[in-house]
Amino acid sequence: MNQWLDERLNISRLNDKFLRKAFPVHHSYFLGEITLFSLIILILTGIFLALFYEPSQQLVANPLDPKGTQVPAAFASVIQINGLPYGDMLRRIHHWSANIMMGAAVIHMMRIYFTGSYKKPREINWWIGVLLLVFTALTALTGYSLPYDNYAYTTLKVIYGIAGSIPWVGDFIAQLAFAGQFPGDRLIPRMYGYHIMLLPGVLLGLTAAHMLLMIKQKHTQPGYAKRIAYKKIVGVPLLQDQSFIMVMLGLLLLGIIMLFSAFIPVHPVEFYGPPSNQTPPIKPDWYFLWIFGILAILPSTLEFNILGGTFNSEFLGGVLGAGLIVLIFLAVPLLDRTSGREMHYYSENPTDHPVRLGLGIAMTALLLVLSVAGYKPEIVNAGVLTNENANPVFWIASVAVPVIAYFLTIGIVRMIRWLRAADERDQRAAAAADD
Amino acid sequence: MTKFRRIDPEISRRTFVNYSLGVAAGVSALSFITIVGSARPVSRQTPDKLPPAEGDILVYAEGTNTGKPVDIGTLEPNPTRAYPQRKTKSGETILKKGEQDSNLVLISKFPEGQLKAPTNLQAAPQGIVVYGAVCQHLGCQVNWKNQDQTYLCPCHSGNYDPKAGCKVIGGPPPRPLPQLPVRVEGTQLVVTGTYLIPPYGVSEEEYEQYKQLAEEATKA
Repeated sequence: MNQWLDERLNISRLNDKFLRKAFPVHHSYFLGEITLFSLIILILTGIFLALFYEPSQQLVANPLDPKGTQVPAAFASVIQINGLPYGDMLRRIHHWSANIMMGAAVIHMMRIYFTGSYKKPREINWWIGVLLLVFTALTALTGYSLPYDNYAYTTLKVIYGIAGSIPWVGDFIAQLAFAGQFPGDRLIPRMYGYHIMLLPGVLLGLTAAHMLLMIKQKHTQPGYAKRIAYKKIVGVPLLQDQSFIMVMLGLLLLGIIMLFSAFIPVHPVEFYGPPSNQTPPIKPDWYFLWIFGILAILPSTLEFNILGGTFNSEFLGGVLGAGLIVLIFLAVPLLDRTSGREMHYYSENPTDHPVRLGLGIAMTALLLVLSVAGYKPEIVNAGVLTNENANPVFWIASVAVPVIAYFLTIGIVRMIRWLRAADERDQRAAAAADD
Repeated sequence: MTKFRRIDPEISRRTFVNYSLGVAAGVSALSFITIVGSARPVSRQTPDKLPPAEGDILVYAEGTNTGKPVDIGTLEPNPTRAYPQRKTKSGETILKKGEQDSNLVLISKFPEGQLKAPTNLQAAPQGIVVYGAVCQHLGCQVNWKNQDQTYLCPCHSGNYDPKAGCKVIGGPPPRPLPQLPVRVEGTQLVVTGTYLIPPYGVSEEEYEQYKQLAEEATKA
């Protein structure tokens, strides 16, 4: 069969060009693969869910209580999906995979950052990666709203409010993105279109570009490759060594996600009920919690007008603040002045670049502090902080904790390097003594 | 031997192709923008979206009595949710839910002595205060917090004191909840004018226009 295909499609050339690609063997290189496999699981379960989901806000009989008040068709169809054999399970797998995709993508990005793999020639792939992260988050956000239960409804309302807070054009943009004044009749069809067509299309396109560039530019080589064979590419070929590892990893991931889904329910629509006048307490998913935290600790008095445009705390925190963080991520290859000078082949040891390591850890610390600030109401209710001192405490913490984290990292790195130098000295002394 | 002399055309092939590409791209981009623009549907002003206005009767928004006039005998501090309902001159009743459900109101009744400034006491007969239920921060509907008898928005914990004009006592809201002036007629509550301050989604500048809209609503 190989020969038959080869004569027609010249697959041996494909084999030589792509399927023999060398994959470095190192556990941290699996993070991107986990992200990709999660995307595949998401698409497969998503197709199944799309077959049964009804994107409409028309009021229909409530499947749980046919004689009671009517509910939106979207909500009713999700209840019906839950009633299918394995329907609820597939919803949970879809939801868990989304969380794991975000998590794996974030850790993958940290690996690239801390090992300096964004340096020349891989800046473009870093930018594509940041965009992938942003679009993954947006896809998750729109998917979140589809069950159209009370929780999703309230979340959408808040997002509409944040989009509407952009000075001058906010109202227009919010109405453009959310199909009219909230909640317009076509809100759910719009979110559905974004979630199953537009955003996955963007994600697939960006993922393809990400992979192609990675094949073209090759992986950065892990540090051991430098010692084994300098300036040579070390690794196992995609077919068949790496592909076995990939299949194993993919199945293991699927297994773990199914285990999670079986025992940890997510987003119980029956519990939240259809949109109503009672507002449930809402929290965004963990990857948006830091934005929620910024909004929680910005004072409302922060509001000013410039040329007829109102700049309020929602815009400053939710749009400007979040945009600024994404811009900082995008600017990483430009901010690192060592990045453009020479071609970069090997993953760097983070301890050789203490400032970069320290800044990365400081940024992580900042996002963590802001995420904790997202729990302000709970912290205040628990009596740890009061309404009056919560904001100042979080403001001081969001400056102090990253600064402390930075200097602590620098200190620890210095210690590690001192120990390493001492080790080398000892070894040299021992070697000299042996002679 | 003929000598070939190249005569420069007025426009080179490269320039021509570049220009024509640019024009084609420009025209298609322009037409694409109009399509994107149509993604924003037109919002229509319908009677049910008008602001609460003088003469509206407050009716239950939920529960078994949905749509029936609020009975003041049943009111307590824990608020009753209601919508204003209009009876037009032609005898039609319109439930005015408002844009984004913004006309949902909370009716609380406190012992008369407990209400204090900046509550508008003329607009609060027998200790009955009516406030817009939509949080001034990002438009969530506020809930009752029994612990300290206040309104609490669960979205970003905006906290309002309904006994003191719903002033903000915690959280991010920029303004108090808007009070709706009412009077008692029999056992019913009748609106005597629109919100005393701008509700969520209406800025200080748009408030005059909002009041005019309410004025027009009384003529319907």
